[in-house]
Amino acid sequence: MNDVLEIRNYSKVYSGNKKAVDNLNLSVKAGEIHAFIGHNGAGKTTTIRAVVGIMDFDEGEILINGHSVKDEPVMCKSMTAYIPDNPDLYDYVTGIQYLNYMCDMFSVPAKERAPRIQKYTDALKLTDSLGDLISSYSHGMKQKLALTGAFIHSPQLLVLDEPFVGLDPEASFHLKKMMRELCDTGTAIFFSTHVLEVAEKLCDKVTIINHGKLIESGTMEEIKGSHSLEDVFMEVVENER
Amino acid sequence: MKGKYKYLLRMQLYNLCGINRLIHSRDKQEKQRSGIVAALGLFTIAILVIYTTKFSRGMAEAGISEALPTLMIVVCSLATLTLTFVKSTGVLIGLKDYDMVMSLPVNTISIVTSRITLLYLINLIISFIAILPSSIIYIVYEHPPICSYLFLVGALFLTPVIPMIISLSLGILIVAISSRSRHKNIFSLVLSTFAVLVIVFASAKTQSLDIAQIIDLGAALAEKVNRFYPPAILFTNAFMHNDWVPFVIFAAVSLLPSIAFITIVSRYYKALNTVVFSHYTKKDYRMGTLKSSSPFMALYKKELRRLSSCTIYALNSCIGIVLLFALAVIAVFLMPSVLRWQAESMRIMNIIQNIMPIALAIFVSMTSTTSASLSIEGKTRWIMCSVPTQARTVYHAKIAVNLTVILPILYVSVIFIRIAIPCSLMQTLLLFLIPTVYALFISVLGIYLNIKFPKYDWTSEYYAVKGGAISVLATIGGGMASSLTPLYLCIIFPDYQMLIMLGITFLILTATLAIYFKFCRMQLYV
Repeated sequence: MNDVLEIRNYSKVYSGNKKAVDNLNLSVKAGEIHAFIGHNGAGKTTTIRAVVGIMDFDEGEILINGHSVKDEPVMCKSMTAYIPDNPDLYDYVTGIQYLNYMCDMFSVPAKERAPRIQKYTDALKLTDSLGDLISSYSHGMKQKLALTGAFIHSPQLLVLDEPFVGLDPEASFHLKKMMRELCDTGTAIFFSTHVLEVAEKLCDKVTIINHGKLIESGTMEEIKGSHSLEDVFMEVVENER
Repeated sequence: MKGKYKYLLRMQLYNLCGINRLIHSRDKQEKQRSGIVAALGLFTIAILVIYTTKFSRGMAEAGISEALPTLMIVVCSLATLTLTFVKSTGVLIGLKDYDMVMSLPVNTISIVTSRITLLYLINLIISFIAILPSSIIYIVYEHPPICSYLFLVGALFLTPVIPMIISLSLGILIVAISSRSRHKNIFSLVLSTFAVLVIVFASAKTQSLDIAQIIDLGAALAEKVNRFYPPAILFTNAFMHNDWVPFVIFAAVSLLPSIAFITIVSRYYKALNTVVFSHYTKKDYRMGTLKSSSPFMALYKKELRRLSSCTIYALNSCIGIVLLFALAVIAVFLMPSVLRWQAESMRIMNIIQNIMPIALAIFVSMTSTTSASLSIEGKTRWIMCSVPTQARTVYHAKIAVNLTVILPILYVSVIFIRIAIPCSLMQTLLLFLIPTVYALFISVLGIYLNIKFPKYDWTSEYYAVKGGAISVLATIGGGMASSLTPLYLCIIFPDYQMLIMLGITFLILTATLAIYFKFCRMQLYV
């Protein structure tokens, strides 16, 4: 399998010379679910934002299917779907207007839109509310709508920042199922999470980051062995202090 | 209560003025930006103070300095009335931090008072600009007794209160009425635009003096103002006759309604916000066929929806073109004969005909949806930044919306003005051409400045659209400077009017192209 996402020597320095991420290297292959874990402020969101091309960075290279995020941002974005940790959406449009907008931006053929939207919104029990303004949605509904917007253009790379926050148990179950299904079609999934049990059950690979530096990266078996991911995480973080 | 009110107010001031960023930010660029905001703000205030001083001095030298006290109160009140109205709902109701603030152990009256105090402090700047220079000129020319100085200080602090309360009441009334509609944003926008037009027509009525009244301006103004705005006359009487009684009444009619307003709004604050935050849902959507658009059209439609969804954004950014349309309607329908007679009797018809394109450009320069179009994205900007389209397509869509707002209304207004004022073919062509160039310029300048100085961390759209947003201030400042300068030059050098207008229009067009090519290379990041 080829590398869909490749991060090489990535560093990000914020003003005041604070190094948020320091020389990070990792790759995510097609059909692979890769968890990115670390404590608050470890540099996960900074990395994710650079991967999806919404934050500039100082050193290194980020490639999506061999295309540089810096040099070919539009090409890279067209292959990527992203959902931030708290997906604020356009409150002044209806759910269906938002999804159609995303279809326009990602050039989804007109004929394929309705069935694709129906498929995902039915699974997430959102179809009935698509005609309502997003401002009337609960946090969980917004999360589901953002997920649908990310899934409908069949991305080659799905990047999620804390995707399970705010979801009810049923939606959480469906999300995991949808992630696995998408992964089986060859999509690479890279997501950050604090829910280590989910990462342990769902992921093929895991990367642990602490204070902007990569601590561990490998298959789930390589990283945790016979222990739980939580034990391993606590141990490596303690060792780094 | 007092202590907590102080904390609430302080927190709002931190967000409003960017003082906190200036003091605490470690980011040099951010500090520079805050410095530029402060410098630009002070520069704008200085320009306005110079203008007020020159105008007041001109009146004093023309021997009508006794009209100054009434005039300054009227100008301050009208400015406060209009400017407060266009931001009235955004500072009181429906704020993004409502939940957080209301969950604090503070009574509602402290919250409402802190919000109104902030608005009052902003309006106090208008008061200082409108009243202080005129007062000094009046004192220099008329040598009033010492107690008049106290009246002037009182006027400085009291004048903004009544118009502010009227505007806020009107704004809340519109929110209350429109909130019952499913399309409450559009309903609110229509009602608010209507209210602005009413204010403009009422102002035009008070200013339609005949030639005899112009000669005796002081008396004419007093008579007109007395009919439309009695508090100004209370102050004028106190000031002219050194009489404390009308001044005390002026203070009472300023303060008592404010106390009543704060009490009533505090009583219904939760209910009002509940209405604003409650939403109409149907939950009966059935999937149908969906139309596709190009990324540019999708962005353009989204921008139009954004503009129509936010009353404060639409009103503030489109006020210039709305005013132009209102004046064009007044010119052609309400008083064409009065206008022509005034222009011909003052022998300024020829000047008006020649400088009209630049005069129109001033209104166009006040219309910029682009200067806040990035800031208004706020926390949703991750969508704009992550979609697979060139940043310049996003900019183009935002510019297209501004041109959609300006050009149709501008051309209709030009036709009305052309009917009201006879012009040659060349003058008519320039009426279309010059404001169009300015429309392009202000659209491009607005987006460029907003890329440079975005304000995403707002709690109400008001703070993205106004509230010290540097891109908005700088765009309006740049637009006004670029249109007022040629107007001024045309008046000073009447023989070269055509040359000045065409020359400056060419420069504006060149600057537009230069700015356009510069920002087209700029990327969008969160």
